Amino acid sequence: MTRFQWILAIGAGLASLLTALGALPDASWGVLLVFGATAAYSALRFIIAAPVWMDGVLTAAEVIGVFSLLAAPSLALWSALIATWLLAWLFIERLSRSIRAGAAPALGLLVPLVFGVTLLVLWEVMVRGFGVPDVFLPPPSTIWGKLISSVPTLWKDFEQTFIKGVLSGFALGSIAGLVVAILVDRSPFLKRGLLPIGNFASALPIVGIAPIMVMWFGYDWEGKAAVIVCVTFFPMLVNTVAGLNSAGRMEGDMMRTYASTYWQRLLKLRLPAAMPFIFNALKINSTLALIAAIVAEFFGSPIVGMGFRISTGVGRLDIDMVWAEVAVAALAGSASYGLIALIERAVTFWHPSVRGGRA
Amino acid sequence: MTAIWRSRSFAVVAVVAVLIVVWYLGAVLLNLQPQLDTYQRSGAAVPALPQLINDLWSQAKPILPAPHQVLGEVWNATAAQDITSKRSLLLQGWITLEGTVLGFLIGTALGLLLAVYIVHNEAANRSLMPWIIASQTIPILAIAPMLVVGFNAIGLMGLLPKALISTYLSFFPIVVGMVKGFRSPDQMQLDLMRTYNASRWTVFWKLRWPASTPFLFTSMKVGVAIALIGALVAELTYTGGGGLGVRLLTGSYNGQTVVMWAVLVVAATLAAALVVAVGLAERLTLRGMGAQPA
Amino acid sequence: MNKFIMPMLAGALALAGASSALALDPIKLQIKWVTQSQFAGYYVAKAKGYYSDAGLDVTIVPGGPTTPVPPSLAGGTSDVAVDWAGEALIAREKGIKMVNIAQPYNKAGLELICPKDGPIKSEKDFPGHTLGVWFYGNEVPFFAWMHKLGISTDGGATGVTVLQQAFDVSALVQHKADCISVMTYNELGQAADAGFTADKIIQFNYSDMGNALLEDGLWVLQDRLADPKFKADMVKFVQASMKGWDYALKNPDEAAKIVVAADDSGAATFAHERYMVGEVTKLMGTANGVLDKAVWDRTVQALLDQKFLTKQPDPEAYTTEITDAAFPK
Repeated sequence: MTRFQWILAIGAGLASLLTALGALPDASWGVLLVFGATAAYSALRFIIAAPVWMDGVLTAAEVIGVFSLLAAPSLALWSALIATWLLAWLFIERLSRSIRAGAAPALGLLVPLVFGVTLLVLWEVMVRGFGVPDVFLPPPSTIWGKLISSVPTLWKDFEQTFIKGVLSGFALGSIAGLVVAILVDRSPFLKRGLLPIGNFASALPIVGIAPIMVMWFGYDWEGKAAVIVCVTFFPMLVNTVAGLNSAGRMEGDMMRTYASTYWQRLLKLRLPAAMPFIFNALKINSTLALIAAIVAEFFGSPIVGMGFRISTGVGRLDIDMVWAEVAVAALAGSASYGLIALIERAVTFWHPSVRGGRA
Repeated sequence: MTAIWRSRSFAVVAVVAVLIVVWYLGAVLLNLQPQLDTYQRSGAAVPALPQLINDLWSQAKPILPAPHQVLGEVWNATAAQDITSKRSLLLQGWITLEGTVLGFLIGTALGLLLAVYIVHNEAANRSLMPWIIASQTIPILAIAPMLVVGFNAIGLMGLLPKALISTYLSFFPIVVGMVKGFRSPDQMQLDLMRTYNASRWTVFWKLRWPASTPFLFTSMKVGVAIALIGALVAELTYTGGGGLGVRLLTGSYNGQTVVMWAVLVVAATLAAALVVAVGLAERLTLRGMGAQPA
Repeated sequence: MNKFIMPMLAGALALAGASSALALDPIKLQIKWVTQSQFAGYYVAKAKGYYSDAGLDVTIVPGGPTTPVPPSLAGGTSDVAVDWAGEALIAREKGIKMVNIAQPYNKAGLELICPKDGPIKSEKDFPGHTLGVWFYGNEVPFFAWMHKLGISTDGGATGVTVLQQAFDVSALVQHKADCISVMTYNELGQAADAGFTADKIIQFNYSDMGNALLEDGLWVLQDRLADPKFKADMVKFVQASMKGWDYALKNPDEAAKIVVAADDSGAATFAHERYMVGEVTKLMGTANGVLDKAVWDRTVQALLDQKFLTKQPDPEAYTTEITDAAFPK
């Protein structure tokens, strides 16, 4: 174990000891067992090397212990929380190291998962332990409850915003960016003139463009798609232009010796070479598109849609609904990013970042 | 010296000229229906074409203001306005700028620290990156009100909550860019450092940090523009103290359409100016480091 | 000895000056929207020194569409707030125990306007059409009205399609909705500027229809009223505020100028604010800001009917103690 991992282990051990002692008067035997065992285990580490999975098991046990202590907040609760956090951190550290040293790569999924769960546990315990009112920050359990009980509403909102607005705007904006990039590539005059203008246009803030687009194109999906096109057009343009320029000169010359036309060179050499850049833009655009759609709905919409629900939820102090919608948005955004990243790996299998080390 | 029609300035001017023509035409098309409605409602007859066009290009609350209307308003609110008056967009822009720059600086610092941590620690790399990406999918406009109230509740008021919302948006391009940048040195160069028995710290300072400079400035250009948007979003929530965002909001409630366009132009110009400033810093730094121009 | 007397005297005078400045109690007022003449009374009271005369150092904190008022009170951003009864009572049920201490606005400024040459001529024509409604807490009176008329808000031929409109009149100008919501003191004037003058529109005024719910009132957190010093400060605050409103009523031009000067964003114009002051003063209730129980009851009933509230608010939701103390009979 590295020095940092030792610090984490000792810290977790001490905090667990504190918890076990603090909980001694009135806690259940389960809690005492878990925290006492962790404290003892941390002391044992000095003598015998501990397996990584044991840290994981202990972390899970401590999480359960923290929640049972939550019923009666006391100093023991906070030391338990610190112990759990440090132990989870240690587990992630050791897991990553063992994956690097050759353990099953599939375990790699566990690391961000454990990190995320630790964050959620910290959130839940701190909000409930400090007694923060729901209208400020609801705990994840309340948000989950609201999510489960509002699936029809959330689905209708998702349909309105994502399926009708985001997908159409994303497609339109990306295709427009691609087409204009090819035009710019064809004409150096346009490249000199259009790119600086595009730079300036991309600096127009979305919170200013959105009300204007909604006013022009209407409150339904057309307005949202218009805002998304404005926002996603430029990243696509810039990245595609850079990508088209990145194709190797030698390969282009070779195609010229075969008497290829501009379009053949474009389709067979330069567009495939531009794919890494294009996918970079698509990844950025996928998250931008969803946010743009939600912002657009703040400025006028029919009474359905994620942005609508969020803005009215804030007004009606339905904060758990707001967070449920935010959770759906985060999930949708991350899922689309991940999907595009997967397609990217398939399409740009030849690129060093996919073949070699880290991307 | 290139011929004039091959130069960049000519191309830009030509494209701008075409855009302005399209804009004027657009103003005619989009403002037509409401203008006809107005004639109908006031009982006046539809005038001849020159007068009609003139009316279309000088509506008080147009759907698409003509370029001269927008530029006129920008001029009125900046050069022709006393800079200490609250109506001056320069003053409002300065207020927004304070939040932007502070948020951008904190965001860059945070982004750099995170990037260093991610590059040097495997666990951080696997655990943090997915969540940092996920954090950007959360619409900031939705949680900005709650963030501001939360900051106020712990005693942070005024400039700092605004800057922190800017930070939230601008740290992401820095992290992503700098992670790529810190990982950009060649394997050969890393091996060379190894033969010198260089510690991780030395490798970082002497190799990774200089190699990432182009990535740093590219990310900073993106980050500074996003920081401005963050400051505007924060001002929509926290309307005390003024700023371009508040001006946009209040202007829209008072039905001042042309003012809103003027604010947009000023905000975009501000963002472009910030990007140019970062570009200038880039040129100076790269020249000082002895880099060849790309 | 002599060379100490002057500095000591100067020091004593300075202390006296400083302590009289220290005697001002800091009070933060959260208003429901951005700086505009809707809150003229408070800006006038501040500018004319009524608050400082009463020993209060008042800071006015502007709000906006994404700034709900109850969290501002609960989080300590403000000590007293202007809010509509609907939002405040919903917050009370969710745990932010707000109490109404004064009710300057008795009538409602909310209206639904439809062009006379449009398809809507009376309430009977609503079904099958699109109506623009504001949200952010302003939708409660509309839904209560539709509930009273028995019209569903889910669209279709027998219901109305509700459009979440922006806070301007573009939905009317561009025929995106058959009718839109306006406030008499703001958007109604903008509609007139756009050609929809009073003779060209049908106005469904919530107050005239008896559907008005309580609008701008002063609310504080219940726990703070237990502190006698805070209560005394609130009495002084209400007195000074109503004095400010009184002055605004009698001097609308000056009131408009004060509001324009107070707007940090520089967007307020004299013409607009002067129009707003004129309209707002028509909504004032008694000179003492005393709550009208009948309108309160109607507001509560509408909230219950529409399921915005699940149970009757307890009697401590409003108090007449402050107004009784401020304006003894």
